[in-house]
Amino acid sequence: MFEVRGLTFAYPERGRAALSDVSLSVEAGEFVVICGKSGCGKSTLLRHLKTVLTPFGRREGEVFFDGRLVESISKREQASRIGFVLQSAENQIVTDKVWHELAFGLESLGEKTPVIRRRVAEMASFFGIQEWYEKSVFELSGGQKQILALAAVLAMQPDVLILDEPTSQLDPIAAEDFIETLKKINDEIGTTIILSEHRLEGVLPRADRVAVMAEGRVLCEGGASEVAWELKRLGDPMLTAMPTPVRVYLALEASQALRRVRRGSTERLAPPSFGSASLSVTPCSASRLRRSTRSPGFSSVRQVPQTVREGRVYLEGKYAGRGVDGERGVGGDEPARNNDGATREPIIEMKELWFRYERDGRDIVKDLALNVYPGEFVAVVGGNGVGKSTMLGIVAGDNKYYRGKARVLGFDPKKADGRCLTDAGLAVLPQDPQTLFTRATVFDNLIDVATAHAKRRGEPASPEEIEAEVCRVCEMTDIVNLMGFHPFDVSGGEQQRTGLAMALLTKPKLLLLDEPTKGMDSFFKEKFSAILKRLCSDGIAVLMVSHDVEFCAKYTDRCALFFNGGIVSEGTPRKFFSGNSFYTTAANRMARGLFHDAITAEEVVALLL
Amino acid sequence: MIGHISENRSIFAGYHPLVNYMWFAYVILLPVFFMHPVIVAISFVPALAHSIYLGRRRAARFGLCFVLPLMVIAALFNPAFNHRGITILYYINYNPITLEAVIYGIVAAGMIGGVVFWFVCYNSIMTSDKFIYLFGRIVPAMSMVISMALRFVPRYRAQIKRIIAARRGIGFDVSSGKFIERVRSGGAILSVMLTWALENGIETGDSMLSRGYGLPGRTAYSNYRFDSRDRTLVLLLAALMSVALFVCVTGLISVVYYPMFVMESVSPFAGIAYVCHGAVCLLPLALELREDAIWNMALHGCGACAGRQEGVPCLK
Amino acid sequence: MAAIIVILCIPAVMAVNILFFEDRSYYATSFIIIALSLVPFALVFEGRKPQARELVVIAVMVAVAVVGRAAFFMLPQFKPVVAIVIIAGAALGAESGFAVGALTGFVSNFIFGQGPWTPWQMFAFGIIGFLAGLIFYRLAASIGAPSRDGSGAEGVVAYKWYDTGRLGWNVRARKRVEWLRVFVLCVFGGVITFVVYGLLLDTAAAIMFSSGDVTLSQLLTTYLTGAPFNMVHAAATVFFLAVLARTMIEKLERVKKKYGLLGAEA
Repeated sequence: MFEVRGLTFAYPERGRAALSDVSLSVEAGEFVVICGKSGCGKSTLLRHLKTVLTPFGRREGEVFFDGRLVESISKREQASRIGFVLQSAENQIVTDKVWHELAFGLESLGEKTPVIRRRVAEMASFFGIQEWYEKSVFELSGGQKQILALAAVLAMQPDVLILDEPTSQLDPIAAEDFIETLKKINDEIGTTIILSEHRLEGVLPRADRVAVMAEGRVLCEGGASEVAWELKRLGDPMLTAMPTPVRVYLALEASQALRRVRRGSTERLAPPSFGSASLSVTPCSASRLRRSTRSPGFSSVRQVPQTVREGRVYLEGKYAGRGVDGERGVGGDEPARNNDGATREPIIEMKELWFRYERDGRDIVKDLALNVYPGEFVAVVGGNGVGKSTMLGIVAGDNKYYRGKARVLGFDPKKADGRCLTDAGLAVLPQDPQTLFTRATVFDNLIDVATAHAKRRGEPASPEEIEAEVCRVCEMTDIVNLMGFHPFDVSGGEQQRTGLAMALLTKPKLLLLDEPTKGMDSFFKEKFSAILKRLCSDGIAVLMVSHDVEFCAKYTDRCALFFNGGIVSEGTPRKFFSGNSFYTTAANRMARGLFHDAITAEEVVALLL
Repeated sequence: MIGHISENRSIFAGYHPLVNYMWFAYVILLPVFFMHPVIVAISFVPALAHSIYLGRRRAARFGLCFVLPLMVIAALFNPAFNHRGITILYYINYNPITLEAVIYGIVAAGMIGGVVFWFVCYNSIMTSDKFIYLFGRIVPAMSMVISMALRFVPRYRAQIKRIIAARRGIGFDVSSGKFIERVRSGGAILSVMLTWALENGIETGDSMLSRGYGLPGRTAYSNYRFDSRDRTLVLLLAALMSVALFVCVTGLISVVYYPMFVMESVSPFAGIAYVCHGAVCLLPLALELREDAIWNMALHGCGACAGRQEGVPCLK
Repeated sequence: MAAIIVILCIPAVMAVNILFFEDRSYYATSFIIIALSLVPFALVFEGRKPQARELVVIAVMVAVAVVGRAAFFMLPQFKPVVAIVIIAGAALGAESGFAVGALTGFVSNFIFGQGPWTPWQMFAFGIIGFLAGLIFYRLAASIGAPSRDGSGAEGVVAYKWYDTGRLGWNVRARKRVEWLRVFVLCVFGGVITFVVYGLLLDTAAAIMFSSGDVTLSQLLTTYLTGAPFNMVHAAATVFFLAVLARTMIEKLERVKKKYGLLGAEA
């Protein structure tokens, strides 16, 4: 369906090519995932598949659609046959009413009213939009908007659907639902799907083919298993973005193969057996069969478990009864990463807090209690819309609780107004760092904050001192090379870092983070956690609310589950997640039968080797 | 907004936008063009009633607090400044106050009040959807802009709230500090908002392009269908309106205010015109009331009590 | 182009109205004139078939102005709308300026309520945007270097004019020019708010109150009673222009450059 041949592309005024010699072909009916860390050129590549979206710049190579050069295909045909869902649903939606948005593309194509009526009705029924068909767009939830954006493109009945990181702004459950919907479209309608993604957990098991990109090149492509093995062979950092079962499997198999090689076995590295479990009964087997007829190399590659279920079957099949039993574990409790906290004065102290937005409203926060100590990194996890962000608002003094007792940095947040808390050392990194950028360059934005705060503290610093301070923070957050850019011209992760730098320039003692890992790729998560670690070691307390269970398990000092207005359980990540059986990490769910308290892929691997 | 009964529940609002529009054009413009006291009076009462029906207590309060004073001012404004007319009632500061001007002022006040109440109904019934439907074909680009702007407005309001909170989180608070600082802070908020809006808007533009906006031959889709119910009402309204208009235009009823107030208003033709005009003005309200009665009947078997308060049991 | 049509159209409409209607229906007549005078602008705007991105920028400005009007709802007359419309006109050109102004009047009344004042407001805001574009956008073109590079037309020049940093003058002169420019814009804004918007809407009010039978003294009284309000409005415009003009125009120019919206007006 699509064929990209030797595509090289560079944006104007940028030295490095965004794409270099990319070749890729996509067949009709395939579900293809293009992954890679942010800034690897995925979006640029996708935008070359549709002429109106192709960015301006220096370009070589060709893109074919149905055997024709894509530029030679009329705009009308492209508009209807190549559906493109942009990264942000919020931005993609043009009109104010749901029904109008669904009809928008068909109107552009000049369809008559009865045709539009039927197609819109079909779409609304397929996606279950009937309920909110006549609503205004602003009444919809994030997940609904994403569905609407998708439905509005599908209403034009495209042959191929291209999606640019569609789930990056969704919470995990909505993201999973969305990917499921895509699979349904792929299976039931036969629409070809090309998707770029950095969060691979949900996508990988459903994809027919995966292409991994790095620095503007296609690193490798093929079935999920092939790609996984190939990445392992290359030792590519993209491996860390793979779902937990894949990582555990590859680490175990590779090291065992290595051991066998050391023992003088003639076996090669790649194809160990798949344990005792057979995959022939998995629901994805049909698509795998299809694929096997296409890719000749298939038979030589062992299937890699991609879902928790497959991973669990693999682990239990391989290790159960081999001296590994449910009693073994990581051992003891991990040394609390900041066990001296209890002796210190808490930086946040909340007791029996109650909060509601309106007098007659529902209580959003009920009987909430939580303490946070200096130098601690605490995460509050919980489902969508349970009130986690409201809780942050209480800490920041935005939401005034009506019952209970709270102290933040020595102040009562209920009585704190305006700047009193921020002056005492509170800083909040908002979910969307774009809300912070006033000035035209990253540098100016930072200078502004630093100057204002130096003035506020009554230490009239010289411009040199302020600049030095800004530079220090920039080095810490790794944004030195962005200084001259407009904050909207840098990538999402870079915006996040800039926002973090702005927050840090206020010299906080307490940092509040609202879903900081949303839209972050796995590489940047690591970097981000390192920055936070460093802050904590300087005695700064970090309180984060998040959906990202894996991130919390790996990096925090303490986790708490927020439910029904309060904290229902809390503890060190190990204690916390091994105590949960649903709301826990993939690694924990996968290895549950073998160890009760391993919560990250690394721990599982370490225990089994 | 004042509308209490949502668009979906109002019967008249459920008619085709063309019907709505035709009716509003007539009821608003006729009294304005033909400031005939009887026509104005016949318009005023249904306008008030309909707006109260749609807006309930809020409309009543609006009428009392805003429209009534407005009407009083309008009624006084004329005789105070206009000294035409021959029937001098008395003098204020050597300026004659004439009976003609007083009458004119009262009629004008009635007309203005009527127009304001009709606009209350208009705002509740003529939603942006309907406007975009009606004008989407004539001025497609502009109605596109309207639709987008209507989408942006609530989004920007939410974003402004987010920006305020985010800036407070890093120590820039709007509500504290010296006046100059606060003004600067307000400016910064707007500035962040605009940057954000423009940068994100470009992706919206891409989305439009990607879905073929700008291809020749764009059509305008709507959910509205002109059905038999609409046809019946249009024919009925058109018949009534043309009778009333005919009588007005041909001078079968007429009014002259200056120099002396002369009103041609009592004749069989005039009677027919009044009835027709009144019927046009009342028709939508009658449709609503009939529907309410039918539902009441269906709910607790009594159409007569017509108690529109839901949940109030019928006393009969 | 739009200007010519309007100049031809309005007297024609007036003539038609005087010929066909009695003197009494000033109110309806003026209403119709105002509504009709919107038509040529709309037609020119439509005839140009604006591109998607241009429409988005216009819609963004409309929404910003509407939000601005809503944000200051508690202060009567102290509204940033005229300032934003002037900025839009100056940065995007006369026709887009008119569109932003007129549609702001219209869309904001979906929130504040439509009424007989809607076409008047639309026209007043629109014509302000139009004049701002006519004066500042063109002036910009004539002051800046007349060279046209390959990528576009006057927009590039306008960009250079506002972004004087690119002209390489020394800093102090640049600052002075910047301030002078904002000052000129502010004066224009104040005057035009008072004269165009104030007088137009006061006329509308006078005609409405007198229901058409308007006398000169009535008109004058309305102007006099309206003057303090119009002063506040003009002051608000000056204030908001002083605060917002520079940064907002910069941002608009950046977006125009970044996304190839140059030469919005052919």
